Amino acid sequence: MKIMKFTFALLLCAVLSSCSSDDDMEDLAGQTGDLVIKFDNGVGDQDFIFQTSYNKSNGESFKLETLKYIISNIRFKDDEGNVFMYPSEKNVFIVNEADGNNAGEIWVTLEDIDAANYTEVTFGIGIDQDRFALGADGQGDFLTEAENEGMLWSWATGFKFIRFDGTYSTSTVTDEGLNLHMGSVGTALDNYKETILSLPNTVLVRNEKTPEIHIKADILKAFESVTSVNFADGYDQVHVDAVETPVIAANVATMFSVHHVHND
Amino acid sequence: MKKEILVIIGLILWSCSKSSEEVAYVPVPMEVEIPTNFPDIVYNLDNNPVTEAGFELGKQLFYEGKLSANDAIPCAFCHEQAFAFTHHEHTVSHGLNDGVGRRNAQPIQNLAYQSEFMWDGAATHLDLQPVIPITSEVEMGETLSNVISKLNADLYYQGQFDKAFEDGEINSENMLKALSQFMIMMISSNSKYDKYVRNEEGGTLSTQELDGLESFKAKCTSCHATDLFTDQSYRNNGLSINPKLNDKGRFNIFENPDDLYKFKVPSLRNVEKSKPYMHDGRFLTLEAVLEFYDSGLVDNGNVDPVFERVDGSLGITLSDYEKESIIAFLKTLTDYEFLNDDRFAEF
Ligand code: HEC
Ligand code: HEC
Repeated sequence: MKIMKFTFALLLCAVLSSCSSDDDMEDLAGQTGDLVIKFDNGVGDQDFIFQTSYNKSNGESFKLETLKYIISNIRFKDDEGNVFMYPSEKNVFIVNEADGNNAGEIWVTLEDIDAANYTEVTFGIGIDQDRFALGADGQGDFLTEAENEGMLWSWATGFKFIRFDGTYSTSTVTDEGLNLHMGSVGTALDNYKETILSLPNTVLVRNEKTPEIHIKADILKAFESVTSVNFADGYDQVHVDAVETPVIAANVATMFSVHHVHND
Repeated sequence: MKKEILVIIGLILWSCSKSSEEVAYVPVPMEVEIPTNFPDIVYNLDNNPVTEAGFELGKQLFYEGKLSANDAIPCAFCHEQAFAFTHHEHTVSHGLNDGVGRRNAQPIQNLAYQSEFMWDGAATHLDLQPVIPITSEVEMGETLSNVISKLNADLYYQGQFDKAFEDGEINSENMLKALSQFMIMMISSNSKYDKYVRNEEGGTLSTQELDGLESFKAKCTSCHATDLFTDQSYRNNGLSINPKLNDKGRFNIFENPDDLYKFKVPSLRNVEKSKPYMHDGRFLTLEAVLEFYDSGLVDNGNVDPVFERVDGSLGITLSDYEKESIIAFLKTLTDYEFLNDDRFAEF
């Protein structure tokens, strides 16, 4: 059976590729391609490096040894206003700085995207209420992955949307623990946020091309953007607090920007 | 050459037979009971329809030691059927390596009708609830990935996941779905009281039981509401603080001072069998519980206003007859069909 399917797929590929090559007019119908989103963490105008101290504008500083967040519901809008939503079951990723390449980029590869000229990307940070309400349904191995990555709480049910672990220093304390493990708590506290980024130039998704979107995440903005927070005032330990977590969630949603696009 | 061809043919044959085995998935739906006297079901059955094979798998997992680090502590270790699936005679439960937990095990019953779980509501989806005991160091002390690899190495599970799920995968999704299927089916709705409210045979309450029901309605249903006997809210019922545990209850979730010492209002179904009582199992009898409501409340700083008497003291005034009759009524909530239901029994 499998061999049959495979041969059929091969045949289909051959047919498809022979068709598309001798056609000058661009017909995108039925075409799909891959796309890579590169997440690149930084702090202000510096690249992010583990165990390196970064300053906040209030005089506090921080160093991190863990830096992870969950990205989900990635979708693209094309130049005609159509939205392509990546299939829901695969549309959740843990971006872990430790998985970065030498350039500090964490690659998220999306397959079989409808061919189109995309002008905007939207994604969520964390797990939205609808996905959480599915429980185990459609999660496949994601729960195990999240557990292995330390992104699953064990004292409550739920995901840590972002996880920053390290230390902070102020004028009065040095290297105190800094832990942001923030997520939603059931329906009572919803910290899922989305960010919409327009693309500086159109991303062309085609059959044999793999364009790349390079996204910068400015970690500093988690602490100072919509609201500036002081570690000394309790923002050194942010877990499920109903006041603190929405502040951090709103800040984190502003971290991302598209640096550039490569059309391969 | 010949050998190679043989090997190839062998491979083809093997791959054929393998794929025909995988067709073992034939879902036989099981109906989830919707008792007429219950509030609306909460669990979304569309996402996880209960099938015979899924239920069977869930039951096996519920009684499976491999879900724990030392392979010896299944869910049923703390949730025993004869005691409405609670940890019999344990004030607080203990698990792996005799690690002692901080809370009294809750009964597993009618969970499909509830939206939040645990004494403080830490679990907000039934499917994900098992992650907490499995990974808790004082309960089962395992990791999901390790449980999955143990199940993968087990012949029974290799076959049963195929039967229970279309994709046949032994992964966390399917394991949790199976556990939910088992727990969803655990519906207790055939006590003498149920038969009484549904006007069914065997539903005759004695005068004392009826008096108890009346007193209960007058004094307890602001919290122990509906035929689930809980409004599913979090309340502080004025228990003194146990300094050894200093369990702040619902406060642990949001660190909101209004939530101090609040715990989820427990269902009182099968309460006769689920002793000891309260989140820390401090009361060994129902008599002690009613004595407490009458005269044992303390002002721990955040007691529910329902308990305030006109003279400023806290409690629900109960005469001796009221206490006796309320207890007689509570015993009509014992559901022997559920407690003896072979479908949920280990053997
Ligand atoms: C070591 C004892 C122990 C083991 C093992 C255990 N539990 Fe529990 N269970 C408890 C305790 C104690 C509570 C109450 C916990 C709390 O409120 O913090 C509880 C609560 C629950 C609840 C919540 C019920 C409600 O009404 O909210 C469910 C569901 C549950 N357990 C299912 C399971 C499953 C499934 C397993 C196996 C994967 C399991 N338990 C293993 C002790 C245990
Ligand atoms: C203000 C809400 C409220 C009222 C009124 C109330 N209860 Fe409770 N009840 C609770 C809460 C909350 C708990 C769990 C407390 C804990 O463990 O910390 C509880 C626990 C219990 C338990 C222990 C159950 C178990 O499984 O451990 C029994 C029995 C009980 N109540 C019976 C009654 C009776 C009988 C009345 C009326 C006389 C009553 N309650 C009135 C909120 C209430």
